[in-house]
Amino acid sequence: MKRNEGYCYLKIRKCPFYIWIIRGLGIVWLVFWAEVAVGSRMELEPRAFGISIGVFTVSLILGLFLWIRGNLKRKKKSL
Amino acid sequence: MDRRDFFKFGLGGAGLTIGESLTGSSDSDSSLSGNHEFDHPWWVNRLEEPKLPVDDRVYSRFNSRKNVFGSMVKYYGMKNLKELRERSQKKTQRYYRENRPGYRLQDRALADAGWVISRLGGLNRGTRSWTRNFVRTPQQRGVEEYKGSLGEAAHMIKAAARYFGAATVGITRLDRRHINAKERGKRIVFEGVEEPYGNKEKLVIPDKCKYAVSMSVQMSLDNIACSPTALSSAGSSMGYSRCEFLVAGLTEFIRGLGYVAIPSVNDLGSSVAPAVDAGLGELGRTNRLITPEFGPMVRLCKVLTDLPLAVDKPIDFGLLEFCKVCKRCAEACPCNCLSFEDEPSFEVKGPWNNPGHKAWFEDSPQCLAYWQESTSGCSNCLRVCPWTKKDKTVIHQIIKGASAKIPALDAFFTSMDESFGYGRQRSARKWWDLNLPEYGVDTTQGKG
Repeated sequence: MKRNEGYCYLKIRKCPFYIWIIRGLGIVWLVFWAEVAVGSRMELEPRAFGISIGVFTVSLILGLFLWIRGNLKRKKKSL
Repeated sequence: MDRRDFFKFGLGGAGLTIGESLTGSSDSDSSLSGNHEFDHPWWVNRLEEPKLPVDDRVYSRFNSRKNVFGSMVKYYGMKNLKELRERSQKKTQRYYRENRPGYRLQDRALADAGWVISRLGGLNRGTRSWTRNFVRTPQQRGVEEYKGSLGEAAHMIKAAARYFGAATVGITRLDRRHINAKERGKRIVFEGVEEPYGNKEKLVIPDKCKYAVSMSVQMSLDNIACSPTALSSAGSSMGYSRCEFLVAGLTEFIRGLGYVAIPSVNDLGSSVAPAVDAGLGELGRTNRLITPEFGPMVRLCKVLTDLPLAVDKPIDFGLLEFCKVCKRCAEACPCNCLSFEDEPSFEVKGPWNNPGHKAWFEDSPQCLAYWQESTSGCSNCLRVCPWTKKDKTVIHQIIKGASAKIPALDAFFTSMDESFGYGRQRSARKWWDLNLPEYGVDTTQGKG
């Protein structure tokens, strides 16, 4: 197939549907805790803010770690 | 579409379906009167009768002299009371010298100043006069009195009440047993007269006043969170002043429509009982009203009227089951005046309680004694209640809804609430640096 040079192409790697569900849930989880953190801050509830921002940060770091590790594994395999 | 709307139309719609299928109930009166915009969140059910039963053989009109404010000497003893007051005064002076946050001159001045509008009225006096006509009557305008269907009238009254500052409004048929039999040395009687009146012996409510408009006014959570300090007292006093403005405004509005209106805050009779009947909330462990929107963070007032109105039904949002397991208010009470019993009962704690209804009755003289002891009142039970929330995050709505529908989770929610640090006493010093909204309350909270 001839590629149109006027466009950018987004390549999405194929993966099983359950992976997409897990990714979706992960995003919902992060958005939820971010919302709780922002709300708690507005409510002037320091402990609730601390816990929610903690859960958010740990979840985000864990997610990034798994994503990077997966990418590295895949690269190793392709080599 | 903001977050509230999303919740309302999205999860709210699903919840309504699930909720109604679970309980088989619906808010028929509200739909009749077209009052959806004034209704509670989707997880609140309407009932035919309040959940806590009333013993009709026992429940009767209360003599307000038995009220703890009217009989503190009797309940506490003159000598004890004198000693208590002396102790309180010494403590107050010591706190001044120490410049203790929450008990400084500015804190106490704020608490006292909060009463300023409330002091303009009393039982059939000032802004709470039963007959004063500030607005022009329909006769003076040369028109007939207001005519509308029950639903239209209820809708209009609720809109006006919101305009005058009500956080929530409900309407009920007046149960005369909620009205005091005697107050300030005068009998309160019902007679077949056209207008209310009072003389040296009695205050007369016309028989035709068959409706009570019950209203709640928000108190500032930022103030109550400083309890027990003068700043939390400022939250209460400001609440009373806003009630005063609200009942005065609504009363004059109803009179301007050509009907009788009798304003009342804490005078005339119980404010909690009509509020339960009108579906503003449920009776909690504190023996006070707890609302689904603001928890116990409200002051109540009412207006009696002969304007025919569509009435609301009592509500159930799972509070009774929640209070059975929570007990945080009782644990936070510094004078142990709240009940730790699992179940509410008909057994009163003393003559200050009006018997004949099931409740967790409180030891009011102990409570009031602690107000003296603390030198500035106490609202710890309101501060720690898990239903006391600012609702700035969606998690509160989710938990409130889940608690209403799945009581088995109540113990978990209670412990999580504590773990997340809700209900802790806040710094009274920092209060003065807050960028507060008008009156210290978020007037958009609970407004769908």
